Amino acid sequence: MIGARLFNDKNVPLFTLLICIFLSLALIFSDSNEKVQSFRISITKNFSFLYQPFNWIDNQSFLLKKIEVLSSENLKLNLENELLSSNKIENDYLREFLNFQDREKYKFVGSDVISRGNTSNLNTILIDTGFESGVKKNNPVLSSRGVVGKIIASSANTSVVQLISDGNFRLSVRVMPSESEGILRWRSNTICEIFEVKKTSDINIGDSVVTSNLSTYFPPDLPIGKVISIHDKSDSFNKVVRLELHSDLSKLNQLFVIIEGDNQ
Amino acid sequence: MLFFQYFLISVLLQLLFSELLTINGFQPNIVLLFVILSQMPESNTSKAVLIGFVTGLFCDLVLFTGSYIGLSSLVFSICAFMSSRIRYNFVFRNFDSYWILTLLVGIAIYCLFRYDFLFFSNFFLFLRNFLLISLYSVLVSYILVKILSLRKVVLNA
Repeated sequence: MIGARLFNDKNVPLFTLLICIFLSLALIFSDSNEKVQSFRISITKNFSFLYQPFNWIDNQSFLLKKIEVLSSENLKLNLENELLSSNKIENDYLREFLNFQDREKYKFVGSDVISRGNTSNLNTILIDTGFESGVKKNNPVLSSRGVVGKIIASSANTSVVQLISDGNFRLSVRVMPSESEGILRWRSNTICEIFEVKKTSDINIGDSVVTSNLSTYFPPDLPIGKVISIHDKSDSFNKVVRLELHSDLSKLNQLFVIIEGDNQ
Repeated sequence: MLFFQYFLISVLLQLLFSELLTINGFQPNIVLLFVILSQMPESNTSKAVLIGFVTGLFCDLVLFTGSYIGLSSLVFSICAFMSSRIRYNFVFRNFDSYWILTLLVGIAIYCLFRYDFLFFSNFFLFLRNFLLISLYSVLVSYILVKILSLRKVVLNA
């Protein structure tokens, strides 16, 4: 009797809604499942043609500006390179003298962004290289300016990159030159915060932030950003350091995946 | 036919906004606006909910690749349910305020999932993000509703 009352015509829309909510929640909670991820990647890849015209327009509009910026950066880097070359020779000599181990060189794979996570806030993107190029889960991803994220799923020719701006992204970092270490977390736009930094650390505005050698997946000394403010918390033994990322996460077109490095 | 025509327009506009007109990382949800407006004349609420669910699933798989799979289907189902429940006279009198209210409900659910970490750690930042996304979405949607005369289309459907 009660069942018949519950399932009358009036309640059908409500039951349909409840079933849809249940199915949606089931999908949300199975989001990290590898089968679901690979199914999603294959669908996205098949529909990536939708993004191509917009990506092309985007690339063209920024191309001239990019060339100008890159030319000036190239000149600056050439001058820096001259100085660093002589420092390298000196450094190699000293490392050899002190019996230090040789540093491994990183192997990069260049890739284009196929689709930017089309959400209210960008947290993942799809790139056009996959495990056929040697890209694996947890490989670090860099733009020409610094770290932007890591691989969270890959198929034969495509991979999903979790950006620093994802709420769940954490990275062990070091502030130079003080060598203070902490955990990086995104805050807003290109601003991130470093937690667990000792209050006694000598950090100044403008200090550079790089990856630490404590990370399992990221090799040390990859550039991330620059310190813009330091906040002391009266109720804690730690301070919070705020930094600005070198990379603009809303304008990513070409990226590099490190497939071999120190910690790989 | 009209449904697919406007669906195609909304997908194209969504792609346009996501690839070229993202401001500070915020984008308006045009497909959500499409679901809300297209389901207003739908008298069969179950059908409207299912259309919302399927459209949401399509968006999760094809458009909103950065989001949780199932999030759009959840939001679209709820918004389609709300839209379909409305009566003609009420739409006639309160068209703008009703779609704006439904859109805000949808955005609020999106934000709860997207900024869950901010909701607990920094509520003011969460609120700021919600308000900025809402403002941008409502502004763009309002312009589209006026330019495409969507009130007339909905009332004549």
